Amino acid sequence: MRVLLVDDHSIFRSGLRADLGPSVEVVGEAATADEAVRLVEELRPDVVLLDVHLPGSEGGGAEVLRRCAGLLGSVRFLALSVSDSAEDVVGVIRAGARGYITKSSSGAEVTRALETVASGDAVFSPRLAGFVLDAFGVAHGEQAESVDELDRLSAREREVMRLIARGYAYKEVAAELFISIKTVETHVSAVLRKLQLSSRHELTAWALERKLL
Amino acid sequence: MTTGALPLARPALVRPRRMLLSGVAAGVAAHLGLRPGGVRVLFVVLALCGGAGVLLYVWLWAFVPLAGEARSAERAVDRPSDRDAGAIVERAVPVALVLVGVAGVAAAVAVLVGRTPANGHPLVPGIVESVLAGAGAVAWSLVGDRRDPRYNERYARVVRTTAGCVLIGEGVLLLPSQPSPPTAVSALLVLLLGVVVLLLPRAVAWWSGVLAERSAREREAQRAEIAAHLHDSVLQTLAIIQNRAGPQSEIARLARAQERELRDWLFAGTDPFAGDVATELRGIAAALELDHGVRFEVVTVGDVQAIANGPLVAAAREAMLNAARHAGGDVSVYVEATVESVDVFVRDRGPGFDPERVPESRIGIRESIVGRMERAGGRATVRSGPEGTEVHLSADRSAT
Repeated sequence: MRVLLVDDHSIFRSGLRADLGPSVEVVGEAATADEAVRLVEELRPDVVLLDVHLPGSEGGGAEVLRRCAGLLGSVRFLALSVSDSAEDVVGVIRAGARGYITKSSSGAEVTRALETVASGDAVFSPRLAGFVLDAFGVAHGEQAESVDELDRLSAREREVMRLIARGYAYKEVAAELFISIKTVETHVSAVLRKLQLSSRHELTAWALERKLL
Repeated sequence: MTTGALPLARPALVRPRRMLLSGVAAGVAAHLGLRPGGVRVLFVVLALCGGAGVLLYVWLWAFVPLAGEARSAERAVDRPSDRDAGAIVERAVPVALVLVGVAGVAAAVAVLVGRTPANGHPLVPGIVESVLAGAGAVAWSLVGDRRDPRYNERYARVVRTTAGCVLIGEGVLLLPSQPSPPTAVSALLVLLLGVVVLLLPRAVAWWSGVLAERSAREREAQRAEIAAHLHDSVLQTLAIIQNRAGPQSEIARLARAQERELRDWLFAGTDPFAGDVATELRGIAAALELDHGVRFEVVTVGDVQAIANGPLVAAAREAMLNAARHAGGDVSVYVEATVESVDVFVRDRGPGFDPERVPESRIGIRESIVGRMERAGGRATVRSGPEGTEVHLSADRSAT
């Protein structure tokens, strides 16, 4: 699996590089948005591990994603952040990242997440699952009526998100709900798609609303 | 005994702080040992002698100090607080209202004169009088009454509004009846002045609101800048330290605690509802992380910030403490507030235990978690296995 690391801290990059598992081949490192875009086009890695906060650009990681929008089909992005702020995280997800993990994740966790993203599935941390539940109004009991509906989660998706927010790994979610891991991954990918395509919540708006509550 | 001692016994010539209009007559009366009423009559009589009484009155008003007011300018400069402490005066006559009344009468006269066709009376003096009295009323309510606690902001607003309405009314009534340019222009000016008097305080309030908002925005921007900087440096470094040191080590614990404090400061946003479930659980998590080799991830969904629930927090604390003591490592805390209930899940990855076989002596789970929740009208369930333990607490929304 060929991976490009994008983070402005060289110490962090080298530390992470040393921690990643043997299945990961780091083909390049970038420190700025411009450099990242250039390397993505040049190297065509399988996965880009993308820091949400990059210096010298307004949009940070989201900007890299926007400028690489044409490649999103072949190159997958996994967002990496120290941030807890909903706007930052949901911003990169909506721009096209396939998942989000925190910087305090261990090397093994990052490796696992990279593998998941490389195989086409989505990576949700408990915190991101929490954001999603909030964004789709689950606390108010809202539920999708049909499969096609983008603005609300189905009952099953809600269950999966809740378990992930409670700290369950995919295989634990599968065991808990008596479904296969593949099905869990399908649900998570569906939620990711809804998060990216839903027009219901302009996410800064709901973040504000959430603050007001 | 000589009469020379008498002047020394005489009280100093000062104006009392509880006054009718200015305290001049009362002060002079006390100084000379006369009755205030007599002094007032004297002033009126003198006033009829070519205005001498008015001049004398104004002169005394200007130069006789208030009781307790620092007499020399030096002392006032040395100790400015003296001036502030003695700033209160109580004036019996509501000067601003009287001036508004004068303005109203003058305006009425001017309107009557102005609308009566072809009488030879000059119109402009009446207008000037009403304008002067109205402006005087507004100025007095802004400056003169500031040291008087009895005339508050509401009173000042009434004065300003009335004065503005009087001037506007005068202008409106005069304007159509005046064919000659000078009076028409003055009527128009009166009208405009009235509008200004009415709108000025609102404009001032709006402007100061704009200024306050702008400075708040600047502070927020500065804070965001600092936050962005800390983000790029300190938080990253703390994350690296934790990663390299492993979650169980002492260094990772310290780094984690520092990170949490910094994060709270950076992302706190508006100050949280004190004592709500989310804030308390985050605080508990931070405290436990300091004492145990454990890493909590607290995720909240719904309006958790708006709920306070003592028993729920206490039971959750017990569950978190158990996880920190017996499992360690990564512990997930998930709080969800729906319309009907508040749920807390505490999940660890420890070796697990059988809840049925916990010895009687260990009251932690039985009493502090299950018992506590049931007494508070909620539920608690514990599931444990080789994959870890999960405690689920649930409280009805109505019970919170």
